[in-house]
Order: sequence, then structure tokens, then C-alpha cells
Amino acid sequence: MSDKPKLIIADPGLLGAARTRRDVLKIMAMGGAVVFLPTVIAACSKDNSVTNPITPVTPGSGSALTIDFAKGDIAVLQFAYLLEQLEADFYTKVVANFGSSNLTAAEKTVLQDIKYHEVLHREFLKAAVGASNGFSATPTYPGVTFTDRLSVLNTAKTFEDLGVAAYNGAAQYISSTDYLTLAGKIVSVEARHAAAIRDLLNPKSGDFAPNTFDNVFKPALVAASAQGYVVDKLGFANAPATFIQGPNGNG
Amino acid sequence: MRPRHSFKAPTETGELTMTTTEQLPLIESIDPEILTALDTRSTEIAQGAGMSSTTAALLALGSIPIALGALAKDVYGQAPSDVLDVLQFALLLEYLEAEFYSRGIAASGLIDAADRTIFTTITAHENQHVAALQSLITGKGATPGAKPNFDFTAKGNVAGFNFSAGQYETFKALAMAFEDTGVRAYKGQAPRLINDKAALNAALSIHSVEARHASEIRRLRGKKGWISGNSREDLPAFTQGIYDGEDNLVQGGVTITTLPDAANNGGTAAATEAFDEPLTKAQVTAIVTPFLA
Repeated sequence: MSDKPKLIIADPGLLGAARTRRDVLKIMAMGGAVVFLPTVIAACSKDNSVTNPITPVTPGSGSALTIDFAKGDIAVLQFAYLLEQLEADFYTKVVANFGSSNLTAAEKTVLQDIKYHEVLHREFLKAAVGASNGFSATPTYPGVTFTDRLSVLNTAKTFEDLGVAAYNGAAQYISSTDYLTLAGKIVSVEARHAAAIRDLLNPKSGDFAPNTFDNVFKPALVAASAQGYVVDKLGFANAPATFIQGPNGNG
Repeated sequence: MRPRHSFKAPTETGELTMTTTEQLPLIESIDPEILTALDTRSTEIAQGAGMSSTTAALLALGSIPIALGALAKDVYGQAPSDVLDVLQFALLLEYLEAEFYSRGIAASGLIDAADRTIFTTITAHENQHVAALQSLITGKGATPGAKPNFDFTAKGNVAGFNFSAGQYETFKALAMAFEDTGVRAYKGQAPRLINDKAALNAALSIHSVEARHASEIRRLRGKKGWISGNSREDLPAFTQGIYDGEDNLVQGGVTITTLPDAANNGGTAAATEAFDEPLTKAQVTAIVTPFLA
């Protein structure tokens, strides 16, 4: 037994760190022992949640967050609500870090506007799905430095492009023309954001619109990308069997 | 005579008010071609003779509305003529943009050298949008409408504009007008494509690219990338129709400014910026008509 590998967990927060989780599994598989120091046990006894102020909580490590397409159009709205929660939270943190950020004043003006829009999208969709279909996702931002201009803008670019592809791809599952129009009202604003962020990163280039046709992504593909920023384990139930590809054929 | 079949009187059923329930009376949502099959008085219907004969046909069938709704949507799908009408209409808008930008980048000394990549990018997109729409129309067994002749002075509203050196500010202003129009036009037509997913995908993937263009052009002109209220910014008054209704604050029955924390998130301006609004085919036609020679 003494030659078996052993991992000592001294900090409850480390339970959420990717390297530690991997180490735990590896050592367990080798027949080793994982020793929790009393501080960890004490922390666990008081609080089921795992938090770490430094290391982001591992994406997908939380409880299941499942969107059930049996709900029809409501499921599409829930999917949009998930993405808008993520965006709104991200930009809220961006704005909160303005004081110690190296973003320019002009960039802060753009990001402040986008934060407003995303919070309003989130609150609108919260109202649209209704209390009985509501949920609260927990975002996490591995590798994002909120005080760093390039880190913020590149993450924003990822979110905005993903949002555009997500709305464009989910549209085919909407059966109400009213909801289809509402999705259209939001997606073009996301596209305006995407172009503005891309313009800040690479001005005077063609990057603001990198494709002749924007991407049309199926929800599962969007969720796979979004999962990198969400603690909850994203999943779908009763997902539609068919997906009609957009012009780029990459969804 | 130039073919202008995409400029017939609007026949759309896509104009909507935003509530969470279907707005259109069921009978109006059924394509006339389907009704023709149900109604022996097809001539009257073809002439738009109206609801009475239509209603009579439905009553004669003794069908319950739900069953007819299912027939219209699931068996026949969205009527091909309706989808084609949308595609031809979109093609006209893309012709307008493609010719505008193509002439712009071909003109000597018009576009600032530093901005040239922006406009060559947009030009390529618009020309490819034209080709894609033509292909979609051909694929449905129809003939794409021919490109009309355009008047980029808009019947003198943009006096003297002819892509000359020194007219760059005017060129950018027109670009903003066309892109903001394009976004609203596609948005307004999307509901008419709801039962043709391939066409819907194509339209939506163009729609958001037009929004990217709009944002870029607006920012190039020193404006926000998004539309605040119903402001046309510094564009001339004849373009106001492009922005009318963008000050809408009620989405799906929800007043955006009354949402939790809306007051701390940009108030009325942000509430209008966060949602782009559709235009009907008739509204877009009114905007575009001055640019038709």
C-alpha cells in the first residue's frame, strides 16, 4: 500500500480545479488513495458547493441543465435564455473590471452598450420563458482575464459569433412566426455586436464579417462550445432528429 | 420593359404584431392556391374576390379549422409562390446593394484607401448573395428577376451623387441606409419562410451578415453600430422610413423598459438598441422605390 500513489487534498477549492479532478481520477484508477485533510471535510460539511476564488470552476462539472425540446418553442427560448445569461454575466464582469482594465475609453463605451443589451435580452427571455421554465446557469471563464483588453475582446468575439450561429440554427425549430420574428430581432443585434467587437480587434480589415453567409449551428454544436463557459452540465432531451444545414454546411 | 415582378403589390402575410399567439385569421393564412383546389369558384379567388367565397368553400367542406390549418402547413407546406416572392424580393435588394458597392469600388478616388478592404469585403458578399438567391430561385423551377436600373440619386434626393471623387461621405451615408434597410427587410420576410427551412437558413444567414455590414458602416461613420430609438442619425429626411418603428419598446407583450434593472441598463435608448425591428414588404418597397430608375 505504501507504494501506491496518494493525493492529499488540503484546500476544498482545489476539488474544482481541472488538474486536481484529473489527478483524483487517475490515482483512484491506479488503486491509490485520496486523502482529504480535516479542513476539507469541515468545508464540505458546511457547503455542498465547490468554489475557488482563483481557479475557475471546471466547466460541465456541475449538475445537469437539460433543455427538453418536448416543450417546443419554449425550449428554443430556454436555449436562447441560457446563451443570454452567459453573455450578460460576461459583460457585467467586463464592466465591473473597467477600473483596472487596459481597454480604451472608446472600447469601454461599446462594451457598456453591449452589456446593457445583453442584460435586457436575458431579462426579456426570462419573462418570455416564464417562471415555471426558468433556470439559472452558472458561468465560468477559464483562461479569461477580465482586466486584459485582448482577453476580453477575444472572448466577446467568441460569444457574439456563437450567439449569431445559435439563433440562426435554432430558428428552424421555431413553429410560431411571432417567436421567429423575436429571434430575428435579437440575432441581428448580436451580429451588430460581433462586427463591432471584431472591428475593435482588427480595424479596417474584412474581419467584421468573416463569412459571406453567417454560420447556422445546430443546438448541440452551440452547446458544445458554450459548455466551455458553463459549470452546469448542458444537455438536451428530445432533441429534433433532423437539422437542415445552412449555406456553409458546417452546423 | 424591365421585368419588375418582385414589385407587384405586396401580397405578404408576414406582417405581425408581437404577441405570443397566432395573429392571422386562419383563412388568411391559407394560400390561395390551396383554396383554389378547394373552391370551384377559382376564378373569383384568383381575382382576389375575397373571403366570402373562401369562407363558403370551407363551410361547404365542413372541416374544422384545426384540420385545415394542418392541411395548409403540413401537407402543402408554405406555398411555393410565397417563398419565391420572398426570394425575388430579396434578390432585388441584393441587386441594389451589389451594384452600389461594385460601382463604388470601381470608381476612382471615391473610397479612402484605408477603408478599401472594408468595401471590397462587402461588395464580394453582396455579389455572392445575388448569386445564391438566383440559384435558390432557379432551384425552385422559377426564373430570377432581372436586375433593374438604379438611380442612386434617389430621384434627386441625393443630388448630384454619381460615385465621383470627393463624394465618399455621401457614399458611406447611402451604404448605412441600404444596410440598415436590408436587415429590417430580411427580418420582415423570415416568417414567410417558416415552412421552407433551407430558404429560411439562407435568408437568416444573409440577414445577420447585413447586420454586420450595417454595424461596420455605422461605426466607420462615427455612429454606434446599433440603432437608437428611431434615429436616422445624420441621414437626410427622405430616409426616415428606414428607421420608423425602431423605437418600439414592447417585445412579445413585454415592455422592455419595465424589466428588472432596465433603468440601470441604458434605459429607453438601450431598450430600443437591443432589438432590431422588421419592416413589411410594402414599407421596404416604399424605401427602395426612389432608387429604381
